Amino acid sequence: MGCACKQTPSSQAGRSARQVNMNPAVTVTELHKRYGAIHALDGLSLEIERGQIFGLLGANGAGKTTLIKSLIGLTRPNSGTIQVLDLDPQAQKHALRRQIGYMPQTPVLYDDLTAWENLLFWGRAHPIPNIQQRVSEVLAFTGLADRQHDPVYTFSGGMKQRLSLGCALVHQPVLLLLDEPTTGVDPKLRETFWAHFREMTDAGATIILSTHQMDEAVYCDRLAVMRGGQVLACDTPPALLRRGRTTVKVWNGAEHQTEQIADYAAELPRLLSRYHLDPSVSRIEVEHEPLEKVVLDLIASQEVNHVR
Amino acid sequence: MFANTTAVAARVLRQLRRDRRFVAISLAMPVLIVYMLSLFFEGVESPIVDPNKFVLPIGAFIVHFITYALCAIVLVRERTGQTLGRMFINGYRQIEIIGGYLIAYSLLSTMQSLIVLVGLEALFQLGYSLGVYAAIYAVIWLLAVLSIALGMFVSNFARNEGQVFPMIPLVIMISVFFSGMILPIDRLPEIIQWMRFITPMYYGTEGIQALIKTGSTLSDALPGIVGLLVYGVVLLVLATATLREED
Repeated sequence: MGCACKQTPSSQAGRSARQVNMNPAVTVTELHKRYGAIHALDGLSLEIERGQIFGLLGANGAGKTTLIKSLIGLTRPNSGTIQVLDLDPQAQKHALRRQIGYMPQTPVLYDDLTAWENLLFWGRAHPIPNIQQRVSEVLAFTGLADRQHDPVYTFSGGMKQRLSLGCALVHQPVLLLLDEPTTGVDPKLRETFWAHFREMTDAGATIILSTHQMDEAVYCDRLAVMRGGQVLACDTPPALLRRGRTTVKVWNGAEHQTEQIADYAAELPRLLSRYHLDPSVSRIEVEHEPLEKVVLDLIASQEVNHVR
Repeated sequence: MFANTTAVAARVLRQLRRDRRFVAISLAMPVLIVYMLSLFFEGVESPIVDPNKFVLPIGAFIVHFITYALCAIVLVRERTGQTLGRMFINGYRQIEIIGGYLIAYSLLSTMQSLIVLVGLEALFQLGYSLGVYAAIYAVIWLLAVLSIALGMFVSNFARNEGQVFPMIPLVIMISVFFSGMILPIDRLPEIIQWMRFITPMYYGTEGIQALIKTGSTLSDALPGIVGLLVYGVVLLVLATATLREED
């Protein structure tokens, strides 16, 4: 059975004032999806609050893409229930799809059409008041304005990735689902993307994204660590980081003592108190385990438990 | 709904406009086949075979075959390229996708039908009246449009190009041998006489043969034309219903 990932009421309180609809954007309960002998989703439960950036972390085959496809009704689960924006992705798919944007892992575009024509086509399925202007805005945001009239087959992988993202959000969806959106995107543009994602969530949209990039995962409001079609842990990035070990080096002249603590927020003051703020302490170095290590340890510990 | 259908049609037409080689080949091949047909019938002239009885149904078959095969492959390419799935997620519905393709490829079929008919008249000097030609054109055009729907319907049962290829000769074999194009239906075994209804070529051949008989009137082609229309509607419903959007 998968680990349920639900937020406490207090964690929702900060955002509740501006959210009209208090129901979660996504509620998944005991979701199972099998492809033959492979259990892609294994009793997964999850709740995602509206107006936040929610990250799905996990190795290949963890079930991230299957989960995203289930949320948009592109894959039919074997059992379990899903509510997305208060709608059933299978029974009410048309109503749901008017409100969502989806960017698949590999760019899905018409290579023989231009960037402009691609955006226009994907956008025309939605009632956008001034679609020409909106397409121009998206081209500017994705940094493709200069190449808007070039066919997509002349684009680099990163440019296709940017255009694919543009196609997913051209209609300003309420819920945006992104499968590894910044793969192949240069750091400067990645920063622009994240700023735009934050603008969207500030305006009330919800973003769910899967990623391998731990340095960007920390920008998410909450993260779900997945393995074997289950959620191993679901928390804010700082809370997940606190699960890692912190190395503290206390320098006394040329010598230092190294100590390791588990929960630095609780244990660091206690540790430092042992040194009584000795004037000879010249430097204190605090080094947290990176998120990547925390996540890998989390996955490894669950694997050990699984074997036992 | 209609706005989305026209959006799909406009997009497919844009793609066709970009792929000039594809359009040129699609239009040149019928001409080449008609020319080769004329070479064949030069060698087996009357009284062995009367070419006038065969060339128009064969011309209709050329349009049927090319349109059907092209559409089957094009739509399965949308599936393998995942653009079909993305269209569904973006809010396009089955009927809008099928309708959009039908509109766009109908324009290509309109040209193909015309080229074949003009080519047959030029090479065989069939000498029918303008009214008969107009009616024959209507039959070939209807058959071509229906072949688009048939291609899309068949492609719904394939996940990739490799799976769609074996389905192409199956449909073509039924079209050639069960339609009455080569041998009169009443001389064929009873089981084939029943199976003739499953191939659109049967209705096309019926319509054309009724029109080219001496002393026939346009109303003689009505059963064939009505058959094509009914078959087309049924096929569109089936193509729409079987267009899967899930993995």
